[in-house]
Amino acid sequence: MNRFNHLPTLKIDTAQKISFIHKGKKYYGAKGDTIATALFANGIRIFGRSLKYHRPRGLYSLDGESSNTMMEVDGIPNVRCENTALKEGMVIQEQNVKGSAENDMLGFLDKLDWLMPAGFYYNVMHKPAKLWPFAMKQIRKAAGLGKISPDFKMPGKYDEIFLNTDVCVIGGGPSGMMAALSAAKKGLRVILMESRPWLGGCFEYRSREYQNRLTLHERAHQLSKEVESLENIRVFTHASVVGTYNNNLVTGFQVGKQKDVFDERYIEIRAKSVVVATGCIERPLIFDNNERPGVMQTGCALRLAKTYGQLPGKKAVFSIGHDLGLEAALELHDLGLSIACIADIREDGQDPALLKKISEKNILFLKGWVAVKAHGRKLVKQVSLSSIDGLVKRKFTCDLLVASAGMTPVTGPITVAQGKLKYDTHTGFFLPDVMPEKMYAAGRIMGLEHPLSIETSGKLAGLKAAFDCGNCSIQEIGEAKKDLENLSGPVRGTKLVTAPVKGRKSFICFDEDATIKNIKQAIGKGFDVPELIKRFTATGLGPGQGGIPGHNLPLYVAKYQALPDISIKPTNVRPPLVPTFISTYAGAGHQMFKITPMDEMQRKDGGVFRNIGVWQRARYFSSDFSCQKEIENVRTNVGILDGSTLGKFRIYGPDAVKALQRVYVSDMSKIKEGRVKYSAMCTDDGCVIDDGVVVKQGENDFYFTTSTARAGQTVEWIRYHTRYDGWNFALVNLTDSMGVINLSGPNARKVLQKIVDMDISNEAFGFAEYKEFKIQDTVPVRAMRLGFMGELSYELHVPSSYMKSVWLMLKEAGKEFNIQNFGVEAQNVLRMEKCHIILGSESEQRTNLLDVGLGFLWDRKKADAKTVGAVALRQAENDQTRLKLVGFKMENNGRVPRDGSLIVDTKVRGYVCTARNSFSLKEAVGMALVEAPLAKTGTRLEIFEDECGDHRIYGKVVEMPFYDPEGKRMKM
Amino acid sequence: MKEIQRISPVEFKTSPLKTEKRNNWEVVMEYSGEGGGPYLVDLSHKPRFDLQDAGLAARKPFGIGIPETFGSSVLENGILVNRMNRTQVSLYCLTGQDNTGLPDEPGFTDVTESTIFIALIGKEVFSICEKLTALDFMNPERKTPFLYQGPFSHVPCQIVTLSRDKETSGILLTCSRGYGRDMIHAVLHAGEEFSLKPAGENRFTSWIKNL
Repeated sequence: MNRFNHLPTLKIDTAQKISFIHKGKKYYGAKGDTIATALFANGIRIFGRSLKYHRPRGLYSLDGESSNTMMEVDGIPNVRCENTALKEGMVIQEQNVKGSAENDMLGFLDKLDWLMPAGFYYNVMHKPAKLWPFAMKQIRKAAGLGKISPDFKMPGKYDEIFLNTDVCVIGGGPSGMMAALSAAKKGLRVILMESRPWLGGCFEYRSREYQNRLTLHERAHQLSKEVESLENIRVFTHASVVGTYNNNLVTGFQVGKQKDVFDERYIEIRAKSVVVATGCIERPLIFDNNERPGVMQTGCALRLAKTYGQLPGKKAVFSIGHDLGLEAALELHDLGLSIACIADIREDGQDPALLKKISEKNILFLKGWVAVKAHGRKLVKQVSLSSIDGLVKRKFTCDLLVASAGMTPVTGPITVAQGKLKYDTHTGFFLPDVMPEKMYAAGRIMGLEHPLSIETSGKLAGLKAAFDCGNCSIQEIGEAKKDLENLSGPVRGTKLVTAPVKGRKSFICFDEDATIKNIKQAIGKGFDVPELIKRFTATGLGPGQGGIPGHNLPLYVAKYQALPDISIKPTNVRPPLVPTFISTYAGAGHQMFKITPMDEMQRKDGGVFRNIGVWQRARYFSSDFSCQKEIENVRTNVGILDGSTLGKFRIYGPDAVKALQRVYVSDMSKIKEGRVKYSAMCTDDGCVIDDGVVVKQGENDFYFTTSTARAGQTVEWIRYHTRYDGWNFALVNLTDSMGVINLSGPNARKVLQKIVDMDISNEAFGFAEYKEFKIQDTVPVRAMRLGFMGELSYELHVPSSYMKSVWLMLKEAGKEFNIQNFGVEAQNVLRMEKCHIILGSESEQRTNLLDVGLGFLWDRKKADAKTVGAVALRQAENDQTRLKLVGFKMENNGRVPRDGSLIVDTKVRGYVCTARNSFSLKEAVGMALVEAPLAKTGTRLEIFEDECGDHRIYGKVVEMPFYDPEGKRMKM
Repeated sequence: MKEIQRISPVEFKTSPLKTEKRNNWEVVMEYSGEGGGPYLVDLSHKPRFDLQDAGLAARKPFGIGIPETFGSSVLENGILVNRMNRTQVSLYCLTGQDNTGLPDEPGFTDVTESTIFIALIGKEVFSICEKLTALDFMNPERKTPFLYQGPFSHVPCQIVTLSRDKETSGILLTCSRGYGRDMIHAVLHAGEEFSLKPAGENRFTSWIKNL
């Protein structure tokens, strides 16, 4: 195709060719082309097939309002080809075809529409019941556009940006630019979002006079230069808004240019005020075969020529309902398009100047006429026109039907922000009636058409937004209002929704193949409001996000039911207002995990890491995930564990003890210097949420630990439970400040002794004792004798920056004993053998302190009101219906059940908390929470595993702990 | 390892050109290929303190008056004092030999080990920041230096804006030490398009002198 290269409005450079592959064949487009315009320029008219009936679909609009031109591009399905810039080497494939778009083997489905009335899948194939599972699978297979494999990895670079501004203007047309300029001139920070790759909106491609011989596109250029010259306006082109929320949070995404570091980036804007200047799209005209390739909207036909340098056809019929249609016909005629006829829905009200020009060019002009049918099996070959009343018909041969019922405002950003629309009889629009707070509409969205009115409304909206920011006076707003009142107001719009047709092949929604007939069927079944009809017929539920059915649906529903006034509202729109890749929402996708100071060292030692809450931790140190060697080494020798993720806190001040008393169940006033106090925290319901140790490090100065999971909430938890007391204490989170090394096993003392200059014999540093010392007079260490793993054990709390040094010293000292790392899983098994619980493993939200056998921690002499959870514990004490934690062994040395498996008889009686093969005991053991009657030693437990069918495994309740019941080993 | 060494939670892949031993820290003074800015400087070795007191108005840490407004900061004698809330202040020792000890007064806790501490300096700093946080550094209602306590790359941080004057723009950021690896990765990734490079302490010293 020869393309224009002389028009001042062109956005393509025909001198720069871009090659691409379509269905295996190489084609060329021009720099500036979209995929759709490049395909069109290469003579491709059928882009794909429709969802249900496999009807041929082609270029209809240029703003991606339907799925007609969604294609697979470089392996990515459902790419909006109208909005996607052509890039060198792109590989483009058709979607939803069996064979090809030209010859689709499933094209016969178009003739079976009678088998698929509205909501057919609710009525048919349900009897006999056996049929439905099969039918459902087939329907699911057929539903949806494009194909994607579960392991598909989205190519491209995605980014995100979070912005703050005074005024956010949505829409870079003339009113949007004026709004941005007027707000910016008041010294405010302004962000302007435009979905097309350039500013200008409805002025940008039109040659009509603006004022004083200046054309509209020249005016657009003038305004955009001024906007771009102001430093306090940030312009985002090719940036679509996808949502607006409370407090004027605006979200969107921007498509990157060649030089940008992103393909798409998510944008989140917090604005003090918002101007919505999104303009209008065309309201599709509904007639038979209204989506046949060759039928396109006025703006599409005009922009194909003016922006992309190609005529949309050879011979055209226009069936339009607004002056832009007449203007487009004249411009395209001047560019060489043969026009068989212009049928205008309106009987009167046309711009006389345009009518004069049409007459001068001898173009056949029919007032009060409309297209009723597009003929041609795959492409438009003829068009039938009819008078509005259907009395007279004429047929024209053509390859292009430019069709548009009128305009319809783009109100999505207003309605998703909970603005209300109301039908306006003059414009035929659903106009903003109640605007969200600090949000203003401007331009064509208000029904304005005169260029000066459009601009002035933008200026007024910009000033109102500036007023919200405290930078504009009421007087200035009053003056702008007066200026607007002195200009042309909203223009009268056409009311026609559908041509006089029965509607079997008249499509109201292209994406879902929903016809006028389907709407009638839904109404016939009693679905009388658009929201219900939308769901029953799927109208507007496709990937075009309701762009095509838009306001046509409520208008048609009102008309068909002959409602006296149009009280019916358009259906709700929801974010995203335009289709958006999930990868765009994901943005840069930085994974933010915490690592311990020993992360690198442990990885070097072969640690296998897992994400555990906010942390990454070494779970295993070999590919044997049963951790046999790690466990046996701790039981017989010495192991080293990185426990740095433990929560660690300092609490100090005159009332620190009172605060500890409040949140811990034990009597915290009895903490002795040099001793470790183990205790637990409960919720008000007595449910145990945390456990840890507390040590005294000075007068009214304590250091305590929490579980890893609770570290983030602990400060707030203590502050919350002391909020009315006015106590004087301070809390500091030292979790990241201190690393923790756990040295466990019978040889632990020998290893530690080699790096410290003090007596650490059992007599000098006994079980449950606490000491502070320095290594090499430099590294301050807080050491505790604990026994979580059931062995002689030292927990060394070391400043994080020194951790590596101390870790290496211990490894060096332990060399002669062959010291080995052990990970979280080995720790889990070791402590399980000892029946030491981990909250979250042996408990869930409803488990209280008594259920897990920690009742001994609760000091019953403390006043209940002083201890969080004590009142509830008092009540729960005699409750026999609660679950109890028990230990169990598997029958006949059977295999270990999975964690979380159910304990059952005729119903569920409990669940397995943790169960593992114990290498120390040489059998499978575990802990379970079971109903009280099952807690008795010797009770047989029937265990139901996920998907086990009728097969059960059995265990027996035994005494706890399983390993070293006297506790000699940890006290040695 | 025989020598006791303190390890920073911040690690850059770039090779250090000049280093200095200080209180068992190996402080990098200059990296190779620092470029022309913006710069990311690791200051994790600089002492930082937490001060809590119900009567903050009466306190003068290091002889410096504490700002009354929450979120305000004051930089005096190389010490940055940030008012966090009614009872809490964070203090960063920015200059000197990093041997400022814990004041012998009640209410102080040394939190140097708790966080990473980085400076992001150069004219594109706020373009980098807006890729990582919704905090409004250019809010005209805030006067530098000021403190934000909020998310940066989804992680709770303290961020002090010291300057917004184009070429000398700069912020200081602290967050939990454990996030060091991923925070540095996120910042460097966000700054890639602006040629953000790791830089040694010298860059920071000369920058702060010129404020």
